[in-house]
Amino acid sequence: MSVAGLLKDTALFSGLSDDELGAVVNLCVERSFPAGSIVIRQGDVGDEMFIIQDGHIEIVVVGAKPELRVVVLGKGQILGEMSLLDMGFRSATARSATAVTLQVIKQADFAALCEQDHGIGYVVMRNLAADLSFKLRHRNLATM
Amino acid sequence: MIYKISYVVRGGTHPGAILDSDTLPKVDDEVTFGGALFGIVEVMELMPARGGFGFLHATCVPLDEAEDD
Repeated sequence: MSVAGLLKDTALFSGLSDDELGAVVNLCVERSFPAGSIVIRQGDVGDEMFIIQDGHIEIVVVGAKPELRVVVLGKGQILGEMSLLDMGFRSATARSATAVTLQVIKQADFAALCEQDHGIGYVVMRNLAADLSFKLRHRNLATM
Repeated sequence: MIYKISYVVRGGTHPGAILDSDTLPKVDDEVTFGGALFGIVEVMELMPARGGFGFLHATCVPLDEAEDD
């Protein structure tokens, strides 16, 4: 699947025109990891967001014994998005449960695109808020 | 329509998953994630559909003990 096809099927980019999607495609860099790799390490400073193109990633919180397994994310899901918003430390570790292919967007590149095109910025930020809301609702149900 | 589905597993040790699907999940469907097989026992809308995406929640139970993630 092309990067444009992936982004079109990803809720984060829902509502963008083909031209706007093209601008986002230009920011994407592909990165692949074998199963068992640490993609994001809890506590690190993050400056990238990831979109899963293929494979599964498990989110775990380390420090607890045993580590807390939070959720498994599949194709079309995003991770690392919180640091795009708050520039804070990574809140959890992301480990590839299978071989994975990811599209990576740097925070600085994304912020520059949003500054340049507020329409893209509004749509993606709204979708980002909805994605965080979805994950929070999932988490609430998972802990019932 | 693409369905973004929150899978929560009741029983077992799997943490659950968030996965996209192009088919609407239904009660009694079987689904595989993380190398394990699960049966769906409940489906509900988690958030209203928007922009060609549906946002659903499915409660699952493990149907086997195999797990490879």
